[in-house]
Amino acid sequence: MPDAMLELEGLEVRYGVVAAVRALDLRIERGELVGLIGPNGAGKSSTLLAIMGVVPVARGEVRLRGVSITGRAPEAIARAGISLVPEGRHIFAGLTVEENLRLGRAARRDANGVEADLRRVYGLFPAIAGSLSRQGSALSGGQQQQLAIARALLARPDVLLLDEPSLGLAPTVVESVFAALEEVRAQGVTILLVEQRAQVTVSTADRTYVLANGELRLSLTPADANDTARLAAAYLS
Amino acid sequence: MSTLQALVDAVALGSIYALVAVGIGLVFGVLRLINFAYGELITAGAYTLWVLRSLPAVVAILACFAVVVSLSLLLERVAFRPLRKATPATMLIATFAVSYLLQSIYLLVFGSLGNSVSTLAGLQQAVDLGGLRIRWITIVSLACGSLLLIGTAILLGRTSIGLHMRAAATDFQTARVLGVRANRVIAFAFLVSGVLAASVSVLFTVQNSLVTPDLGVPITIFALVGVVVGGLDRLWTATLGGFAIGFAYSLLGDKLSGEARVYLPSLVFGLVIVVLLLRPGGLFAGQPRSVERV
Amino acid sequence: MRRLEPLVQYLGPATLIVAVAVAGSLTSHAREIEFRNALVNVAIVVAIYVFVGNAGVISFGHVSFVAVGAFLSGLLTIEAQSKQFVLPGLFGFLRETTIGDLPALALAALAGGLYAFLVGLPLMRLSGLPAGIATLAVLGITYNVLRNWEKIGPGPLTLSLVPETTTIWRAAAGALAVAATALLYQRSRAGRQLRATREDAGAAQASGIDVYRQRLVAFTLSGALAGFAGALLVHLLGSITTDQVYLSLTFLTLAMLVIGGVSSLWGAVVGALLVSGANSFLVDAENTVHVGFDLTLPDGTSLVILGALMAAVLILRPSGLTGGREFSLPRGRAKAR
Repeated sequence: MPDAMLELEGLEVRYGVVAAVRALDLRIERGELVGLIGPNGAGKSSTLLAIMGVVPVARGEVRLRGVSITGRAPEAIARAGISLVPEGRHIFAGLTVEENLRLGRAARRDANGVEADLRRVYGLFPAIAGSLSRQGSALSGGQQQQLAIARALLARPDVLLLDEPSLGLAPTVVESVFAALEEVRAQGVTILLVEQRAQVTVSTADRTYVLANGELRLSLTPADANDTARLAAAYLS
Repeated sequence: MSTLQALVDAVALGSIYALVAVGIGLVFGVLRLINFAYGELITAGAYTLWVLRSLPAVVAILACFAVVVSLSLLLERVAFRPLRKATPATMLIATFAVSYLLQSIYLLVFGSLGNSVSTLAGLQQAVDLGGLRIRWITIVSLACGSLLLIGTAILLGRTSIGLHMRAAATDFQTARVLGVRANRVIAFAFLVSGVLAASVSVLFTVQNSLVTPDLGVPITIFALVGVVVGGLDRLWTATLGGFAIGFAYSLLGDKLSGEARVYLPSLVFGLVIVVLLLRPGGLFAGQPRSVERV
Repeated sequence: MRRLEPLVQYLGPATLIVAVAVAGSLTSHAREIEFRNALVNVAIVVAIYVFVGNAGVISFGHVSFVAVGAFLSGLLTIEAQSKQFVLPGLFGFLRETTIGDLPALALAALAGGLYAFLVGLPLMRLSGLPAGIATLAVLGITYNVLRNWEKIGPGPLTLSLVPETTTIWRAAAGALAVAATALLYQRSRAGRQLRATREDAGAAQASGIDVYRQRLVAFTLSGALAGFAGALLVHLLGSITTDQVYLSLTFLTLAMLVIGGVSSLWGAVVGALLVSGANSFLVDAENTVHVGFDLTLPDGTSLVILGALMAAVLILRPSGLTGGREFSLPRGRAKAR
């Protein structure tokens, strides 16, 4: 079997004595969009933060293209090709939109193609292109989310991690964000999407896993999107 | 001395303190560390000038920059990097310890009596500008101060490392997740603050030629006071604060009678306490970063 | 076992203090002063610990209270006749009053406490860095005023002719008393409430603890103990200048506290004694000490080595040598786990 794009093996994340994630195995192939859903406190965000090196990995391993990145610093992981769109977006409110985008280039390994990437991102999010000189704080919630994704894409990542991009957004805005994600995947970026909104995630992702109490409980395919009974059972299990 | 002349001198001292304020503020921004040992960098520069007093001034000044910047980077690497995850109180006291250590080294090597630096003593001479007798050092301090501040502004505002520093100062974690290299940004902050400290060494020793092991202590404390009054989190207001302290100090020292002048430090410290009480949160408003700073 | 816990916690510090006193009484007179000095350092560091350790708020201002206690007790115990000549500028009552050294100790404590209370009234609203800077400003003001106002002290000169009444036993008794007060306080309701605010000020406030009030109580008590320790200091030295109670004492005592472990009495005592001991040893070594071989350090290196040692401990072990834990017997600790 060839190396997966991103692979978690026996991942465990602890905060003191509490295990937030336990023995998590996950394999994501190049170009896949994989969803991770589950109730609050299931360990979804912790998984992303551990992949990114923001919280320490207590046990297990994270591999990118077959190479272990466990224990590396966040900036090293970013430079290795993983970008995180953090929960709550974390736009730099005091910097301009243009500066926020420039920060996204910090993790790029080569400066070539920045112009093309910028055009692609502006095409994806026209609202961003129109407000380059505004302060990050002046954007609406939906625009900030778009900016956070745009910023992550400018690192030209192989893998894009998203932590609840729909949080606090109006339904129409959520739709546009998910549409953008499908387009990003079409451009060849591997995506791991953590979400609370089960239905839209299951129908968009190639595979969706349900995480509860730090463990994988269930694997779903787009065909299950309308099977409300299965979705509900996953959350209640 | 005319009021105008006093004003000009006050502006000159103000610009020196503004440089110190920026030096302290830059490191605070990225590390949330108040470096009490900052003054000892200035002292190191002053002693370098003294040691190389027989060489041409240009050489001595270049060496001063080299020594101070290297020391600044060395302190970052050896002392402050291992402490990034320690509590703020421990970090503060550690910078105190470093300051104490450096002072005792200066004491050991150079003695307590003080050494006179005369690298740019010629700048003490005055020039007559329409009835105002202004010393060259006043003009040079102002010019260098402004240039360095403008330079720092360009560095922060226009370059990519400057952008990274600004981002790290607001939210270090997110900056790192975006690929901003923590060690590089922090080392860079220490580098720039070292350059500023070396400049202060050169300018300050022209005005105060006697170098003692504790030369840097009052400079740090007063500049720190200025930084605090201006607001540690915002470099530009901190700069203004540093300038204001130097300005007020020089002007009040000139205008107060001899009797009252000795209590000037108390006045300044009292002012700081009042400012802190009135807007403690405003001055230090930053993101709480209790969870793993770097 | 639980009822004995306070006694056990006192046992460690008290044993160390008594051991130092006994050791000191057995050495030569010249050497004894170093032991007395170490014990007075214990009193100062524990006084600082009462506030800094329990509240979790840094203070650079405590040496102000040490200074107030030292100068007040020093001035009041000098013979009135000498004061007429040496310090003619003093306020009348300071110049003409002479009291015994024990009442002077009590008065120093009172003055330290009162000064801390007055300073704390506004300052205890601050925490974190603002608190650190504001207390540093208090230290600056105290130093500046003491150094220049000749109605309340010797100004820039040395205050001398102070009776040297801090014997080794009195230094030990003083340190024991300060440590006992610190322990009683931290185990009292007020002390436990304050320690709760240290972990999570917001949660403590929500559960009805008045953070400001508890900090003020600790600051005042801590100031009183610091004033008392200052009086011990001046009667140990026999003379004092304002520079002796300014930045370097502040730094040294805080470093002792942090090196020992800031959040326990045990840490405060251990830190004070270890750093004092290292200091004495290094100073002696400048005049040759015998440690299996003759060790002679060049003059002036003791400060450098001490500074480097302290910096190294702070960097390598930021939570202090004791890790901030109280003294416990080996078995007791095993049980508690």
